[in-house]
This record gives sequence, structure tokens and C-alpha cells, in this order.
Amino acid sequence: MKRVELPEWLSAALPEQTVAPAEVARAARSQVESLGLPGPRDEEWRWTNLRAIQRGRFNASTGAVGADIEPSTRLPLENPVRLRFVDGVFQGLPDDLPTDVTITALADADEASRVAAFSPKPAPSVDNPNDALVTLNTAMAREGVVIDVAASAVIERPIVIEWLDGATESVMSHPRILVRLGQSAAATLIEHIETVGDQPIWRNSVIVASIAANAALTHIALGLDGDARLATERSFAELDRDARYYNYNVQLGGQMIRREYDIHVGGSGAHTDLFGLMMPRGKQVLDTHTRITHAAADTTSNEHYRTIVDDSGRGIFKGRILIEKDAQRIEAYQSSNNLILSDDAEIDAKPELEIYADDVKCSHGATIGRLDDEALYYLQSRGVPEAAARNLLIAGFAQEVIDEIPLVELRDWLTEHVEQRLVEQIARSERNA
Amino acid sequence: MALLEIKNLHAEIDGKKILNGIDLTVNAGEIHAIMGPNGSGKSTLCNVLGGHEGYEVTQGSITFDGHDLLEMETEERAVAGLLLGFQHPVEIPGVKNIYLLKEALNAKREAQGLDEIDTFSFMKQVRELVASMDMDDSFLHRGVNAGFSGGEKKRNEILQMLLLEPKIALLDETDSGLDIDALKIVSASINRMRDEERGIILVTHYQRLLNYVEPDFVHILYEGRIVKSGDKTLAQRLEAEGYQDILEEAS
Repeated sequence: MKRVELPEWLSAALPEQTVAPAEVARAARSQVESLGLPGPRDEEWRWTNLRAIQRGRFNASTGAVGADIEPSTRLPLENPVRLRFVDGVFQGLPDDLPTDVTITALADADEASRVAAFSPKPAPSVDNPNDALVTLNTAMAREGVVIDVAASAVIERPIVIEWLDGATESVMSHPRILVRLGQSAAATLIEHIETVGDQPIWRNSVIVASIAANAALTHIALGLDGDARLATERSFAELDRDARYYNYNVQLGGQMIRREYDIHVGGSGAHTDLFGLMMPRGKQVLDTHTRITHAAADTTSNEHYRTIVDDSGRGIFKGRILIEKDAQRIEAYQSSNNLILSDDAEIDAKPELEIYADDVKCSHGATIGRLDDEALYYLQSRGVPEAAARNLLIAGFAQEVIDEIPLVELRDWLTEHVEQRLVEQIARSERNA
Repeated sequence: MALLEIKNLHAEIDGKKILNGIDLTVNAGEIHAIMGPNGSGKSTLCNVLGGHEGYEVTQGSITFDGHDLLEMETEERAVAGLLLGFQHPVEIPGVKNIYLLKEALNAKREAQGLDEIDTFSFMKQVRELVASMDMDDSFLHRGVNAGFSGGEKKRNEILQMLLLEPKIALLDETDSGLDIDALKIVSASINRMRDEERGIILVTHYQRLLNYVEPDFVHILYEGRIVKSGDKTLAQRLEAEGYQDILEEAS
């Protein structure tokens, strides 16, 4: 038995009723005990483990609507549509939704939408240890929303999901989000992730995105500082013909963050971009796994991840690209560049290509290195002191991912935020030295 | 007044002796050309002056503007006014040129007890210099040397020098690999920097640069020592006769 038994406190917390359709919830509930949690002997969980969660004794969130919690970070966004979740509890619909956008609490959604929210592609499988967490989410989900964007609508206002966790101590939540873009629609979804308390919390969230023909979803995740956060976050995206999914995953904090993406590039002409930046420090473990499936011919993907690890932090990236048998004329590129700043830091990077078609252009590369001494020397030779020169190089390394983010205000804010963080890091190291 | 005084300088890298007793004095207002065949120690001399950690000075002294240069960190040398133009400037993608220029200028101003430069004056000054180097403004927002051609990299080195106005400019093979148009721009800029207060050292492999920038002194470096010094005619002889005759004559 590779997996770890479901802790008793977790079994005891299984609710009678969830927002999943009754049949789906029943099936999930009957499986969670036998699925347990992924354990360290699962290949997919070699580098990250859920011990902190097993030992955590988290309580299901009972938070109420109307919690008086604001994020401490104000993102510079133009008139965003805010969907706030405090400890996983949805705080209600904003008053001024753009026309062409419909947002419904999952509990109030029609049966078909609830079925869709709980039927991602690929369907959760008992053989995949990662899916145990999705099944658990299904069995536990009490909250969630359905976001619908009408066909041909171009939504300028970003839709922001604020995950504010930690208003109550030792809370866990299992929210579920469904995003559906109609044909030729365009929208931007931003996850603003912040931990408000300093006691450990656990969020096990699932986002299911369905992108119709010729539609484009931009999905940005910003995991901000907060050492108390344990999170297992799963995103599914299903792309129809000529659809685009642009993903930017920035993780700057959390005790243990495991983020997973399943991108199903299922219609010809579809394209996905995946850019990632992770910067663990202290004892943080920041882990992203991506799986891109090219299931149709003439599809493309482009993936670029960067990790910068300091102190005893750990950065993990695993990227799998699967090209199915009849998916010809595919272009798929992946790179993972990693910067290691301290002797105690660790990086695990693993590309995985599985190609069954023969007319394919596919490449991947991974690098792990330290700061370039010659570049440091060059900057110092221009009068820049060593510590500042180091930070310039680190910020420059991060900047190449930040520069890809399409929202200019957010890009500038993030550039500054990362610089500020590096300045703090000098002070932290000096304190510890 | 001697800006730079090198006495009996010996240096090695990874235990291998490269410099074997260099003596050189550069006064304010002078241009010195240091020439020598491959492997004679030209780049080692530049790196020792720049403060590269890989080189160890085993003997001798260097005095720069009254300070013991060997006691100074690389960045201290730079803000004190010694600037090295690299033979192979490193590419630093992600760090924008404009950013480096501002950091470098402010580091120097801070060392002089001046406030940070205001953005408006800075941009004005930088734009003028960029135009004078026949470069495009867009270069300022590209990564430092990232994806630059060889000629663009060398122009960038000169641009930094024009902005930072060093007391000693040490140019390591700045002319190598330049086509004639770029060479003319680079040498015009070096001539512009030539003044009473400043010393310039041109380390070069080719005599051609000296047709455009006329040196006061020419030194031949060979096996880690200056084996012959003279005026600009020495460079012309070198061009006409090659190293062999001159080296034989010197020994």
C-alpha cells in the first residue's frame, strides 16, 4: 500500500451534503477512504509530502459570509470583479458584474453546471495518486462558484478570486470553481492568494476551466507571502478548437504549496502558454506539476518555468507533455531554469515527454545553476556593490518570467514586489548570520 | 601627477605565472597603448587592475590616485574612477541597460557624497550619449548585452564610460571585431574623453585603432613583462615589421 491512510480527523469531517451533484458526491465519499492521501512512495510525491497536513488536525471551515477580512496586498488592477473566499467560504456576488458575465454560487447552480464543475478532463482516476485530492475535494466541497462568459464577449475587467485563508485557526477548505468561456470569448482570471493568520491552514482547491472554440482564457496565480499556508491546488483546462489558455503561475510564499495543472489541448489550432516563477526561501516547499496533453493535430504549447531557491527552501518542477497518436504537426517547447542561492537549498526539476505521434517538434531543457560569477564581476566593475549586484542578477532572472505577464500594471507591481523581497532577504540573511 | 603607478607586478592564475614584473606609470592627460601577441598577459593585466577574484598578485604594488589599489574591492575601484572596458562583455538578460547605467552612476555619486541623480536629467544625459554612439534608444530597455552583436557590446562599454567619466579608462581590446564604421564611432568617443584630467589605457592587438586614437606612449608586452616602450612610431614599426624583429631587438 503506497498511500497514506486518511487521517481520522479528516474522515470524521466528511459532510453529508456538498455542492456536488448527489450521485457524484456519494461516489467520491465511498472512494476517499480507500484512496487515502498520496504518500512519499508515490513517484509523483517523491519530493513533496503531505505530512504537515496529516498531522495538522484541520477543521472544516464554518466561516460565515460577511467576514471582515481584507487582503493586505492591493493589486493594481483596473476595476476588478472580486470574488472573495475567506477560509474557503464565498463572500457573495459583487453588485456590478459586467454584462456577458454570469457568476453563480455552486449551491445555486443548475444540475448541468454542477455536473460540469465536477467532471474535469481527464476524469479523476483511482490509479493516479494526485487524483485522491481531487476526489477528496469532491467529497468535501461546500463552496464554489460557476463563472460563465458569454460567446464573443471580451471581458476587460479581470475576474479576481481572492483566496484569503487563516481568518480562523487550523481551518481547511475544499472549494471548487468552474469557469466556462463561450465561443470566441476572452477573459482574465486572477487568483490572489494570501494567508492572513500565522497558524497553519490547508486549502485543497480545484479550478475547472472549459474554453470553447476560439476563446482565450488568461489565468494568473499569485501566491503571496505567508508561511502558514499549506495548499494543494489543482487546475484543469480543456481547450476546444483554436482556443488559447495563457497561464502565469507565480509562487512567492507558503509552507508547502503543491500546484498541479492538467491542460487538455483537445481541438486543432489550440495553443497554451505556461509560465512559472517560484521563489522558496526559509523552509518553504513550492512545487508545481504540469501535464499538457496534445490530443488534437496542429496544436502548440510553450512552457517556461523558473525557480529561485534560497535558505533551506525547496523548489520542484515537473512538466509532462503527452502527444497522442493522431496528434500530428505538434510544436511543444518546455524549459525549466533554476537558480540555487544557498548550500542548503534544493531544486528538483523533471521534464517528461511522451510522444506517440511522428510529426512533432518538441524540445525540453532544464538547467540548475548558481549566480554567474562573471556577471557579478561585470556589475561590480561598474561600481555596484556585491549584495546589490547579486540582487540585480536574481531580479533579472525572475524578470524574464514577469515580463511575460500581459497586464502591465501587474507586471510593474510584481517587479517591484520581487525587488523589495530581495532587499528584505539581505536583511534576513544578515540577521541569521 | 601619476594617476596609476604599477611597480614590479607579478600575478598568477591557478598557480600559473602570467605577469612577471610589470612597471608602468600613467599620468593624467596621457594615452598609453599596450600591445602584445596572444598570451602575453594583456587580459591578465586588465583583470588584475579590475579586481577579478581569479587572479592572485604575488608581488609588486599598484597605486591608483593615491590609494593602494590592491586593497580595494572591484566596486570600490569603479566608484573611485577606474573603469574597465571588457574584451568580452558578459550578457545579462533580465537586467535592463538603463537600470545598470542608473545603478552605476548613482553608486559613483554616492561615493562622491552626491544625491541620486533625478530621473529627468539622467534620461536626458543618457539619450544624448546613446545618440552620440549612433545607437537606438530601444537598446536602453534591452537586457545588458543580451543578444548584442560584438560591435554593439563594445559600443555599450564605451557608452558606460562616457556616462561614468572615469579617471582611468582601461579598454581591453575594445577595437577587436569592430567593423570600420563602429571603429570610427568608438575612436571618436575615446578622443572625446581625452582630457587633462584623465588617463586612458588602450590594450590592443591591432595597430589600426592607433590610426584613429593617437597614443602618447606605446608599450610592448611579452611574456608578462613590458619589453619595449616608445612613442606612436613603435606601433607603426610593429605593423610594418611584426613582433618578431622587435622582440629580438628587445632581448
